Amino acid sequence: MKKTILIPIDFRVASLNTLKLALEPYSEDTIEVILLHAEYLNDSITELLFYTPKKIVSSYMTNEFKEALEIIRNRFEGKIKYINIELFHGHNTNAMRNFLEANHVDEIYIAKNYQLKQTKNAFDPTPLLKKSNYNIIEVTIEHDFEKAPYEQLISLFN
Amino acid sequence: MKTQTKLAIILGLLSSTIVVVFGLSIYYFLDKYSYVDFYKRLEARVRISAQYSLNSGTLNAKYLKNLRNQHLEKLEKEKEYLIEITPNGDFEQIADKYTLPIHFLNSLSKAYTYKEKEGNLFIAGSQYKKGNKLYFVIVSAENYYALNHLIFLRSVLIAGISMVILIVVIFSFYFSKHIFDPIKEITDKVKQISTENIHLRLENNINKSIEISELTNTFNELLNRIETAFETQKNFISNASHELGTPLTTIIGEADFSLLKPRTSEEYSTALKNILQQAERLNEITKSLLFLAQTGYKGKTITFEKVRIDEIIWVSKSLIDKLNPNNKILVDLRLLPEDPKKLKVRGNQQLLHLAFANILNNACKYSNNKPVTVHIASSNSQVIIMVEDQGIGIPDAELTFIYDPFFRASNTTLFEGYGIGLPLTRNIIHLHKGNLIVSSQVNVGTKVQIKIPLMEDSYLL
Repeated sequence: MKKTILIPIDFRVASLNTLKLALEPYSEDTIEVILLHAEYLNDSITELLFYTPKKIVSSYMTNEFKEALEIIRNRFEGKIKYINIELFHGHNTNAMRNFLEANHVDEIYIAKNYQLKQTKNAFDPTPLLKKSNYNIIEVTIEHDFEKAPYEQLISLFN
Repeated sequence: MKTQTKLAIILGLLSSTIVVVFGLSIYYFLDKYSYVDFYKRLEARVRISAQYSLNSGTLNAKYLKNLRNQHLEKLEKEKEYLIEITPNGDFEQIADKYTLPIHFLNSLSKAYTYKEKEGNLFIAGSQYKKGNKLYFVIVSAENYYALNHLIFLRSVLIAGISMVILIVVIFSFYFSKHIFDPIKEITDKVKQISTENIHLRLENNINKSIEISELTNTFNELLNRIETAFETQKNFISNASHELGTPLTTIIGEADFSLLKPRTSEEYSTALKNILQQAERLNEITKSLLFLAQTGYKGKTITFEKVRIDEIIWVSKSLIDKLNPNNKILVDLRLLPEDPKKLKVRGNQQLLHLAFANILNNACKYSNNKPVTVHIASSNSQVIIMVEDQGIGIPDAELTFIYDPFFRASNTTLFEGYGIGLPLTRNIIHLHKGNLIVSSQVNVGTKVQIKIPLMEDSYLL
């Protein structure tokens, strides 16, 4: 069976813990993973003119995050069909619902005890996801975040 | 030669050459052009003159002559000659008569038209035939322009070029002198730093150019490394002599004590036992020191083969199980890659066993056998092993010294050890082109992160 799951991330390694927990229970399915990063679009017309999601994603991508993604992909190699990073620029529930529908999302995983980092553009899409009436599974990351900096690879091990 | 003078000379020569070549080319081409132009003017006069001289008496000739006198500029010392040439005529006579150079006439008789320069006098002439008679029409004049304007231009150019060269020379000397000022400053400052005041650093001025501030930074980094190496050396010697000295003192003390007076055989045997124990300890220290020295070199004798990192961990764990049956080492396989290829590295089994046994042993020892977790994960380029304990930790200030041989953190006095294990482990990991990161919090725990690059595909076959 094919399944598409969605996980909000903030490009810190710690946020990938949700993905790890989400993938563990599946045994026989092939999973398509969509990592969602929500941010407001810039108003500048030139920025909009030269808008490319790839460039934005690679500007956030750190070596540690890339490595953590590779670790997870290697761990669940047989299950994962692909891992895509998607950007969401909407403001309301309808936009979110459209986005989820377009990407054929089946399940959404959200970490109960992890607060996504909100920078000047990025925002936490959790409230929108919750209002979208999609199947949301909440997981708890067993990790003492006090001990490990979120950005570092260490925070993936727990 | 100093770079400064070299730079000045190169700069001066280059700019002067450019200016001189520029000036010379202006003069040369203008000179050439003024000749060509002047000859054209003379030739035009020859043609007009021929028209009215040969057809004199007609109305046409009269008008033409009028026109020429009114509208054509009279050149400097302009003279017109109309010479009738008799077939047997003697050119010498004609030349004498008209004060014309004889070779000009000779040349003109051979060519149809001819032009020549005689000193400042320019002469142009043509042959014309009228009826059966042959005429030479010759016009001569002096080139006022070439004489005066070119001389003026020459003096202007010479004056200008010498001015420019003077400015260039002064400027290039000034420039070359001052461009090396910051470097000279740095040199002077670095000279002041010696072994006594190695803590001194160069001042990094942001106003300076990027290259200079980079140079300063490089020097400062170099000084940092040298200072660390110095400290390490100092620590190593004091620690080594201390570590080696303690058992020796015990041995000497025991021997002295038992030799003081006759003792019972029981007393002798306890003394000898103590001596043996200390000697063994000494032996162990020297052995591990030797190992440390060996791994520290870029050894050619070490053979590398294909090893699986999880296997290494299991073997190391069983080694610890034998030494310390109370250990609680948990191997976390939740991030273990599905593909076993992603666990294979190029390495030496014995060394890797030693390295991991060391780390696991430390983790158990300094946490009094609290649970120790070993995580194994693998990215596309390297294997990552993380060993996490809940031990006493390492104080922040001492974290930089943990790789110094014989260094032991201030909170380890209750634990046995020589301080050789971690440096040895790091040497081994570095031999495998990997890297080892230790992060720690006092009384919370220590995390050791080891990354070893995966074997390349070409070796996997």
